Parts: sequence; C-alpha cells; structure tokens
Amino acid sequence: MKIGPAVSTVLVLVVMVALDLLADPHSEAWWHQLPGFDLLFGFLGCAGIVIVSKALGKVWLQREEGFYDGGDP
Amino acid sequence: MTVHPAIFLFAASGLAVWVPRLARAPLLFCGAVSALVAAVLLSQGAHWSYTVGDVQLELLRVDELSHLFGVIFTLITVIGVLYAWHTVQRGEHSAALVYAGGALGVVYSGDWISAFVWWELMALASLIVIWSGDTPRALAAGYRYVFVHATAGGLFFAGLLVHLTFGGGMALGPLNESGGWAYGLILTAVAINAAIPPFHAWLTDAYPEASITGTVFLSAFTTKTAVYLLIRVFAGSELLVWAGVAMALYGVVYAVLENDIRRLLGYHIISQVGYMVTAVGIGTPLALGGAAAHAFCHILYKALLLMGAGAVITATGRRKLSELGGLAQRMPVVTVLYMVGAFSISGVPLFNGFVSKSMIVSAASEAEFTSVELLLTLASIGTFLHTGLKLPYFMLFGPDRGVETHPLPQNKIIAMTMAAICCVGLGLFPALLYGRLVFQAIDYHPYTTDHVVASLQLLVGTGIGFWLLAGKLGGQATISLDTDWLYRKMTPPVFAFAVLGVNGAGRWLEHRGARFVNAALRVSANPYRLLGLNRDLSAGVRGEPFDANYYRFPIGVSVFWALTGLILLALVLW
Repeated sequence: MKIGPAVSTVLVLVVMVALDLLADPHSEAWWHQLPGFDLLFGFLGCAGIVIVSKALGKVWLQREEGFYDGGDP
Repeated sequence: MTVHPAIFLFAASGLAVWVPRLARAPLLFCGAVSALVAAVLLSQGAHWSYTVGDVQLELLRVDELSHLFGVIFTLITVIGVLYAWHTVQRGEHSAALVYAGGALGVVYSGDWISAFVWWELMALASLIVIWSGDTPRALAAGYRYVFVHATAGGLFFAGLLVHLTFGGGMALGPLNESGGWAYGLILTAVAINAAIPPFHAWLTDAYPEASITGTVFLSAFTTKTAVYLLIRVFAGSELLVWAGVAMALYGVVYAVLENDIRRLLGYHIISQVGYMVTAVGIGTPLALGGAAAHAFCHILYKALLLMGAGAVITATGRRKLSELGGLAQRMPVVTVLYMVGAFSISGVPLFNGFVSKSMIVSAASEAEFTSVELLLTLASIGTFLHTGLKLPYFMLFGPDRGVETHPLPQNKIIAMTMAAICCVGLGLFPALLYGRLVFQAIDYHPYTTDHVVASLQLLVGTGIGFWLLAGKLGGQATISLDTDWLYRKMTPPVFAFAVLGVNGAGRWLEHRGARFVNAALRVSANPYRLLGLNRDLSAGVRGEPFDANYYRFPIGVSVFWALTGLILLALVLW
C-alpha cells in the first residue's frame, strides 16, 4: 500500500478532530459535544447508505434495462 | 413598478414561434431578461385585482415570499434560455417560457382560482417541453406525466370547490386540518407536484426523457412552485416533517442504484425538496426562511448540475454511468463547473447549499426535532456521496473508457458559468439571500466554527467511505422499480380485467335474459293454459273446419274478470 495517501488521510483526520476541540458547540444535542462525531457519522452513514441501498436493489428493486419495454403504452 | 413579469415571457414566447430562426434565441433571451428585471423591480405590496361577477381575483400580489420566488424563477429562465440558445427546434423553448410564466403566475396569484388556472397552464406547457424530447420514450413518459398531473389538477380543483362551498375565503392563504376535505385534497394535489413519495415517480420518469435543454427548465419550476404553495398554505403541518425526511432519504437510496445520470440527479431533486418539505412542516420562521432559501439555492445548483450532465450527454451522446468515464481531461471547463454545482448541493462551506441547508438543519435542532436533524444529516451524506463523489468520479474522473467527445456550443458554457457564479456568490455573501427572506428578521449565521468544522468532518468521513467502497458503486446497467410500476406494469392487466370482466358480465346477463324470456314465453304466450282453459291452437292448422265455439271461453271467465275488476275498483275507492 502506498504510504502517501494513508499519511495525509490520518493527518486530515487529526486536524479535523483537533478543530472540533477548538470549536464551541452551541447545539443542545449530546452528539455535538463528542469530538469527531461528524467524521464518524459521515463514514458510517456513507457505508450504511451504500450497504442498505445495494441490498434493497439486489433483492427487490433492480431489474434489467428492458423491463418496461413492450409493456408500455 | 407593477408589471406582471410573466407578460414578457408570454409575449416573447408567442412571437418566437413566428420569427425566423436567427432571431428566435435573442427574442426569447430578451423576453426572459425583461421578466427578470420586472421581477426584481416589482415593489412590495403591489397588486392587481379584478372583480368578475362577485368573485375577487388577484392576479398580482407581491410580498417577500412571492418576490423571492419570482426573482429566482425569472433568473433561471434567463440561464435556461442562454443554455438553449443554439436549439433549432421551433416550439420547445416557447413552451418552456410559457411554463416559466405559469410558475410565475402561481407565485404571484393572490386568490385560489388564479393559482389553479396558472397551475394547470404549467402542467400543459411542461408536457410540451417533455414531448419535445422527441423520442418514443419521451412520448410515452409524457403520457404518464400528464396522467399524474391531470389527477393532481382534479384533486386540487375538487379541494378548491369544497373549500369555497364551505365558506373558505377566496384569498390564497393558510389552511389547517379543520379544513377537512379541502385541506386533504389540496394537500394531496400539492404533494403530487412536490414529488412526495409515493407520488413522486412522474419526476424521475419524465425529466430525464426531455431534451438536454428542456430538463433544465423542468427541474426548476414544478416542484418549487409546489414548495411555494406548501409554505404559503400548509406551514406548520407536522405530517410534512416526516414526509420530508422520508423523501430526503428515499431519493438517496435510489440514487445509489441509478445508472442514468440525469435520472440520478432527478432522485436528488426529490431528496433536496425533502429538506424544504421538512422545513415547511417545522414551520418556525427560521425553518420557513430556510425552505425558501433552499428552494432558491437548489434551483441554481440543480440547474447547474443538469446543465453539466447535459453537456456531457451532448458531447458524448451517452447518458449512462456505466458507459462514461475519464472525461475530466477532455472537458476541463465542464468538470470545474459541474463540481461547483456538486459542492453546492453537498453543502460544502463557501457554496450556496451550505448557507441554505444549514438553516433547515438548525431549525430542526432548535425546534427539538433531534431525530429529524440526524436523519437530514444522513441524507446530506448521501447527497455528497452521489452528486459530489460517485457521479463525478464515474463520469469525469474514473476509468477512461475512451469516449469520443464533440465540441460544445459556447452558450452552454456561458450559461453554466452564470449559474456557477450565482452559487459561489450566494455562498460567499449569504446576506444577499438572507436580506430578502421572509416572515421576520432572521438572525442566522451559517459560518460559525462548529458549523464549518462539523460540515467538513461530515464530508471527509463520507469521502473516506466512498474511497473504500468505490468498487461497489460503479454504474450497473439496470433500472430500479419505483412507484411508477403501478401504472406502467399494472395498467395492461387492470385494463384487460376491466374489459374482459365487463364483456363477460354482459354475456352472462344476455344469456340469462334469453333463458328468462324463453321461460316466460311458455307462460305468457297463452295465460289461459294456467287456468286449465287451454285450447289447442293448432286445430286450424291441421285442416279441421273452423268452429268459433271451439275457441270461445265459457261466460264464467268473463264474469270472473268483471267481478275481480269491480272488487278491485271498490277496494281502491273505499
């Protein structure tokens, strides 16, 4: 694995969490008090969206492209 | 100044059909620019009202809300006409201007009847825009589109009649649940136009089938006019909070699966309108201001994204993610402009989506809809994932498929640049937008440290997720089932059932009827048979000599009938 992207990613992550400690959250919700919450939520949310949608697509929603041809008025 | 801006659009649209081709685009452009100027200069409080019979119609009513929507509708018309400058086809953009004029008409209407008439005009004109896609698919999608919108129009009209019958005022204003049927019918009609699932499939079905330039107009008006009506009429209906959240996430799920680039963007119209619908449901001044601001910004960046996708389709002749890739080097300008739109919709700080979307999320937080805040943030992750990462990666940056590109007309680039400048301008100077907002002075500051940091964290987190999962996200050559399945797949069986069923029932009745007549004939042909007084009627046929007495009944029968009649008569008279 190339070392460059990994190092820069870690750097960005550290900076992000550090910034969070500097910022003064003025929201009530508990999760805004956690440093790095949005970072984690972004990552997990992204994974969740992809996995759930792909699963739905596979078992139910996705059809071959010609699905509607011939049936349409 | 008080001139209805739509007048300029209608005039230009009507004239453009008759003038030679070279003069057409400049004429449409002049009409659109005049309308924009008129919309900006409209003074607050201006109104045109007329009395027809005993009905008070108000064709022009200007307040902050209608002013804001009027400005963005005319601005996007200017950009759209510029983007379509090179178009040869005669009718399409005349129809587009009528469509824009209809949307303006709804926005400036002060009474229910005018709003309804303009709304219907909008539906018709947009149908012509869709049909101008000029393919069999566009034709079929147009029929489905008008089927849905005719239903919406019918519901709106029914609701309107109920509203007026039960003493509702003519002035276009708030309705609440005590409005009963009027409330329900009009809300459903507006929900159809706002593309709230399950009534949304007309949008993703029809918009991608219109022409490249037509889609840009389509994306701006119908759903945002519905959002305008929601703000005006249904502010604070809590049902809408959850409908909006469902919408925001619904679009995201389908965008994962979608392969057609304009349809993918269509699902994100639904997702973005979900934010506005939620905000209308929350109903606080900050939320309603956010809904209006987000509609304003959304029209700009969505048009920019669709113009970018349209530029790619024009240049390559391909519209599917699975057939595109590696265009960034061959189309650098389009790539940059598309990315401006993508950053705007994703809510990257310094772009306009950030300043409007964060208003809605903050409003949810302030009104203590905590789960709503979290779910809208989740939808926002999906937005960046698709529009900001997946689409550009697989369309512009990813694996090069050696797609050949044709040069683009310059006017397309100019139009996209205008939209991009607006997106960045509003992101840098949100006061330009906030200053025009509605309801009450809104003291809102998007660029606080915690907001910016939270947004950046969200974007980076999503970016890492995409980086790890990119392999799974490439376009697949499939389509996805959606609620249009109901009327696309179920129409033939329902139709067949109805026709065969009715035919069968008819035949059964006919058969039964014939048997009944046959049975009745045995009795009714010769009722005396029942009385045991039957005479063989075939005696004459057999050649026996005629004897009148043979056929004559005994006198008693006549007496019987006479007596019966008399008794009946006596009974009736008594």
